[in-house]
Amino acid sequence: MPAASTPHAPPAPPAAVRRANLARAGLVALILLLAVLTLVTLDLPPLERIVRGLRNNAVPLLRGFIRPNWHVAPLALSSMAETFFMAVIGTTIGGVLAFPLSFLAAGNLLGGTRYAVPGKTILVAIRTFPEILLAIIFVAATGPGPTAGIMAMGIHSIGFLGKIFADVIEGIDPGPNEAIRATGGGSLQVFLWSVVPQVLPEFASNLLYRFEINLRAATVLGLVGAGGIGLPLIQRLQFRRWSEVSMLLLVIVAFVIVVDAISGRIRRRLV
Amino acid sequence: MRPDPAALPSTVPERPRGQRMVASSTLAVFLVLFFVSTWQTGFSLSDLWIGTGDFFRFFGRLVPDLSYLPEVWAPILETLQIAYLGTLFGTSLALPLLFLASANTSTDRVTLAVARTVLTVLRSIPDLLYAALLAPILAIGPLPGVVALSLFSMAVLAKLGSETVEAVDPGPMEALRASGAGRNRVIVYAVVPQVAATMTSFVLYIFEINVRASVIIGLVGAGGIGEQLLARLNFFAYGDVSMIIVVIFVLVLAIDALSVWARSRLI
Repeated sequence: MPAASTPHAPPAPPAAVRRANLARAGLVALILLLAVLTLVTLDLPPLERIVRGLRNNAVPLLRGFIRPNWHVAPLALSSMAETFFMAVIGTTIGGVLAFPLSFLAAGNLLGGTRYAVPGKTILVAIRTFPEILLAIIFVAATGPGPTAGIMAMGIHSIGFLGKIFADVIEGIDPGPNEAIRATGGGSLQVFLWSVVPQVLPEFASNLLYRFEINLRAATVLGLVGAGGIGLPLIQRLQFRRWSEVSMLLLVIVAFVIVVDAISGRIRRRLV
Repeated sequence: MRPDPAALPSTVPERPRGQRMVASSTLAVFLVLFFVSTWQTGFSLSDLWIGTGDFFRFFGRLVPDLSYLPEVWAPILETLQIAYLGTLFGTSLALPLLFLASANTSTDRVTLAVARTVLTVLRSIPDLLYAALLAPILAIGPLPGVVALSLFSMAVLAKLGSETVEAVDPGPMEALRASGAGRNRVIVYAVVPQVAATMTSFVLYIFEINVRASVIIGLVGAGGIGEQLLARLNFFAYGDVSMIIVVIFVLVLAIDALSVWARSRLI
């Protein structure tokens, strides 16, 4: 082959690609413009205030963080245990209530997509509501403590789990259902011996996943008085006892990472 | 032709013993955990019942006061601004990090391990906690919110991104390497085109998460509508509170719908 036919520069892109590139460049410009506008209009503190804040706090904070205060370790562990237990109950409530709702929201079992719309709408509405807002409402309605946090977590989990469960149900293989019907089985048999065995591993896996999320969420519910490690944490934050904050954070991080690792391992074996 | 029912076994065949053991022991472990949990937290099923009643009674008192609506716009805008900047900065920080945290594009094994560990630790702290930590340091207001969301988005996005990068087709990477391209060129010309659409969809997803987060970080003094919500709640101004809740609800719903639509066009 002659050397002239191997160009050094890549060939010019076709018109359609150039147009797409232009559109992309325009989008990036728009995003950056919006960012600049946002930065200018946002009510940011003056630089000197930020520097002062950093100077006054950064050194004590770092010093405190390097040396966690082990005297609060028992408190950290016991309140993290409470957080863990709250997540267990919250996830269970969410799962138990999401189970029937998900069958209503799935379009394939209980008579068609028409009936699924109200179920799906309820689930979206629940999901949209921030968990911590629910916690505030429960604290106002039933008083502070872990019960308020558990209720908030339970309700919020219904939205997430119901949606995922419904997706799982919509994805099942109809073959076994028909096979059971063909051998004379009724709806109950179809449900027990075809639907449940097909959805159970996925349900369990998503329950565990939701548990991981809930454990993280439960660590902050205490900020609004809904139980768990958030309350001792926010108290120490307000008084800037950094070495104690550091200990509490250490326990949170360790707990969350270990639970994630265990749960992730079980989930990989399930599905 | 239907089989003769009498010739078929009348019961469902029994499951193997090992399977039954696993199922029953899982159930047992769960039940023990659940009862220990209820005992330790003092939660009872009657609480569930009473709580639900209280909750609906509380909701009954929430009648939005429409005259309060004009006062909601400014903090809502600030909320969106925080979410926007948090997503943008988080994405900018995540882009270089995620390639260091992927096994197939990282520079060396030590960097890979360090990047992954840092991301795992950062991700284990919820965004609201970052906001609570940063608010006393960076002055009450939107700044700690932006920084908190940037940090958390960075960690989540880098994690999602590195999983995507690790799943790319190695063919184009090898082809570029064979023609003498270095690490950066391989990333730009072989990896980025393969992950760009998925990554964009992740960024939109992070924006959804950030909008939800920016609504509540005001509770710990990190700017946005949450601050106002808490203030009105402390004054028992339920009309104003419910107006704020309605606006939040509509905002989150709208952003979600927009993002889902945009993502469906991407992939």
